Amino acid sequence: MDFKLTEEQELIRASAREFALKYLEPIAAEIDEESRFPMEVMTKLAEMDWLGIPYPAEYGGAGADYLTFALVVEEISRSCASTGFTLSATTGLVMNPIYQFGTEEQKKQYITPIAKGEKIGAFALTEPGAGTDPGAATTTAVLEGDTYVINGTKTFISNGPIADVFVVIAVTDKSKGARGLSGFIVPKEAGGISVGKHFQKMGLRASQTSEIIFKDCRIPRQNLLGKEGQGFRIAMQSLDTGRIGIAAQAIGILQAALDESISYSKERVQFGKPISVNQAIQWMLVDMATDLAAARFLTYYAADCKDKGLPSSKEAAMAKLFASEAVSRHASKAVQIHGGIGYVKGTKVERLMRDAKITEIYEGTSEAQRMVIAGNILR
Amino acid sequence: MPNIVACFKWVIDEADLKVAAHSRELILDRVSYKISDYDRNALEEAVRLREQYGGQVTTVTVGPPGARQSLKDALSRGPDQGCLIADTAFVDLEPSQTAAILAAALRSRLEYDLIICGEGSSDLYAQQVGPRLAENLGLPVITYVNKIILEENLLIAERRLEDGIEVVSVPLPALVTVLPEINSPRIPGLKQVLAAAKKPVINLNQKDLGEDFSPLLQTLSIQAAPSERRRLRFGAEGADLKKVVDALIREGVVS
Repeated sequence: MDFKLTEEQELIRASAREFALKYLEPIAAEIDEESRFPMEVMTKLAEMDWLGIPYPAEYGGAGADYLTFALVVEEISRSCASTGFTLSATTGLVMNPIYQFGTEEQKKQYITPIAKGEKIGAFALTEPGAGTDPGAATTTAVLEGDTYVINGTKTFISNGPIADVFVVIAVTDKSKGARGLSGFIVPKEAGGISVGKHFQKMGLRASQTSEIIFKDCRIPRQNLLGKEGQGFRIAMQSLDTGRIGIAAQAIGILQAALDESISYSKERVQFGKPISVNQAIQWMLVDMATDLAAARFLTYYAADCKDKGLPSSKEAAMAKLFASEAVSRHASKAVQIHGGIGYVKGTKVERLMRDAKITEIYEGTSEAQRMVIAGNILR
Repeated sequence: MPNIVACFKWVIDEADLKVAAHSRELILDRVSYKISDYDRNALEEAVRLREQYGGQVTTVTVGPPGARQSLKDALSRGPDQGCLIADTAFVDLEPSQTAAILAAALRSRLEYDLIICGEGSSDLYAQQVGPRLAENLGLPVITYVNKIILEENLLIAERRLEDGIEVVSVPLPALVTVLPEINSPRIPGLKQVLAAAKKPVINLNQKDLGEDFSPLLQTLSIQAAPSERRRLRFGAEGADLKKVVDALIREGVVS
């Protein structure tokens, strides 16, 4: 058993930290307030080879591993959770299904420009009536000659308003339920795609989220991802990978909450002493640090399992469940430690607390993670 | 096509330094190490010059065997090859020793037209290794450099001094020590980090250099300077100014 990162992983983590402090820390509060997607950062992420970390160089990836991916998402999220999420979702939910299920041509055509930061991708699974239960989807893809015609409304689509290409899960055979779902690669220029409601979220505000409406959107037959009927599998495998990213995002936010809380509690003087000498504060910091360590090891372990080709679905679900619930709990404590000023806009912990909550919801709610874990331990 | 050598020091990250409350001794059991700050500028400048004028960049460091872990970090920043001069005897080297070791290695093992050092190290900031190394090698040295231009066999450098900018030129080979303003070091990308492991490294130790590098000084102890907050409070009125000045005199801050 070896708990040490490789020299390369340590160096990449250090690069990610330096990058985050230089380019994200100064703008994070502002892009949160303005709800602005930092397009300029995407180019920089591509220059650092961080879009597509675990995919081979022939598709524009960096040819590294999922643990390295987790480290970068963590360090980026420590300064800007929205950017950390964009990195995670692009890798786990957009590039991953194309890499796992796509043809050679699809991989070259669609993964490469995303890895270069030239195109933005989005994953379109959720519908108003199909969240944790993707089998209830009603968006349809009907084959007419050599063309699939897609109709329906997807919702809560991250990168929705700015995406150039969508990975869409739609119904090809209504009679088969979840087994009647299929995956498609849908470029924006196909037409018949419009942005519906643009959501104003509580947190993660620099990430853009909207409805995507498909109305007679026609794509060539060769844009089918994998085979017809594989849609549910594509979605589940993508989410399994995505969860490692979300767990990493959660520990990044939690590390930031701890950093802020330690430095504030050492500076804030009440009753003539820094509040960090009070056991009440110390215990909050200790619980935060201990849960952070546990969440980190669960996350790195899940990534390591995936890198070694071992089963990692349960591990990723446990990491995501634990890390997201921990960050939600402790980001609230971080605000508590800051007192009144922690509740004020512009104080970092206020943003951290809003950003933390979503990690318990997206890419599978905590309840969905428990379903995955239960399925694994009871079989 | 110049052969450029960029020297760096592997130092304790000062952010990790802790001081024992009573003895004032430094606690070093959880410290991490880094490339000294201004040496990053030296490395960056060497790589930029190579990108502009061609040639080859070698990065060199001296230290105990543990300094080996610095190489991938340094090489990920763009040099073509590394040179590690490491020996169990090379612990807590003083500038005269470091300069002598570097000179011995450069004379016998490396080709150089231009040597770049940081103006001073993040830990000691003695500003001696660069000038001493130049002296040992019989090279001209330019310090406080914030701009370098190469022309044929000539190096033109801008020196940022307290009272102005001085522009000087020297024939190569030469040594320069650079200021942090000279550039903004790049952050190594993922592919650069992975490529660093494949770059060639020249390994040398004291025996290879065939010399004894004895120190001139003996360090008896290192203790942190005490700093204590007095928590004095003053009003903002003009009359309070005298109280501030009196307090500063009483504390021996001004006289």
